[in-house]
Amino acid sequence: MSRSLTQKEKYPPGDFAIWIIIYVELITFALLFLGYAFSRRLDVELFNSSQLVVSQTSGFINTFILITSSYFVVKAVENMKSMTTQNYKASNYKASKWLLFAIMCGVAFLAIKITEFSHIFGLGINLSTNKFFMFYLLLTVFHFLHVLLGSGILLIIYKKTKAYGYTPDDYKGFETGASYWHMVDLLWIVLFPLVYIIR
Amino acid sequence: MKRYLEYVWIILILLTIFAYVLGYTKYINDSLVALLLVTTFIKGELVVDYFMGLKDVALKYRMIPIIWLGVVILLIASSYYLQIS
Repeated sequence: MSRSLTQKEKYPPGDFAIWIIIYVELITFALLFLGYAFSRRLDVELFNSSQLVVSQTSGFINTFILITSSYFVVKAVENMKSMTTQNYKASNYKASKWLLFAIMCGVAFLAIKITEFSHIFGLGINLSTNKFFMFYLLLTVFHFLHVLLGSGILLIIYKKTKAYGYTPDDYKGFETGASYWHMVDLLWIVLFPLVYIIR
Repeated sequence: MKRYLEYVWIILILLTIFAYVLGYTKYINDSLVALLLVTTFIKGELVVDYFMGLKDVALKYRMIPIIWLGVVILLIASSYYLQIS
C-alpha cells in the first residue's frame, strides 16, 4: 500500500477507546489460555482423554469461517478507505455486500458452536465435570459471546452502509467495529490449536 | 490493485489446514507442537498486520498485540515442554 511506503498512522484504525478494550480483552483471554496450558501440565492424561470428546472438525470449520469473515471485513474496510465524495454511495454499497458475507459467517460460526455445545451438554458435561471442561467451557462460551456481540456490531454497521451513512470524512465507527471483529478472529486463532489440537 | 489480502487469506487457510491435519491424524509429537505454535504465531501476526491494519500504524500500537501473541505462545510452549521433561 502506498501509505505504508510514506508515513505510518499515528493511531490505530477506529476509535481509540476500542483499542483499550481490545488490549484488555487480550490480557483477559491470555490469563485463561495460560490457566488452561498450565493446568494441562498437571494432568496431561485427563486433558488428552477429555479432548477426544470435542470435535476438531467443528473447530477447524469455525477457524475457516472466522478467518474468511475477517477477510470479508477487511475488504469492506478497503472500500471505505478508497471512498471519495463522488463515489461514497457506491463505496457504502460495496462495503455492505462484504459485510453481509461477514455477518453470514458470524451466524454460521454461532450455529456450529451451538451444535457443539448441545452435544457437550447432552453428554451431561458441565463446568464441574473436570478441569479440561471447565476451561473448555469458560474459553469457548466467553469467545462465543464475543462473536455474538461482534456479529451485532457488524449488523449495525451493515445497516448504516445500506443507508449510505459513511462518508470519506466519517467512517471511524466502521473501522472501530472492524477492529473488534479482527480481535475476535485473533483470539480464536490461539484458542483453536490450544484447546482442539495440542495433546 | 494488489491482491495481498487474498494471499494472506490463503496462507491463513493453509496453516489452519496444517493444524487440523495434525490434530485429525493424532500424529503430533514434540517437534510438531513447536511447529504448530510457530504457525499459530505467524497466523496471529498476519491478522494483526494485514487484517487489523496495524502494519501502517505507529510501532508501539503494532507491538502490543505482537508481544502479547509472542508471550502467550512462549508460555504455552513452556507449559507443554515442562511436562515432558
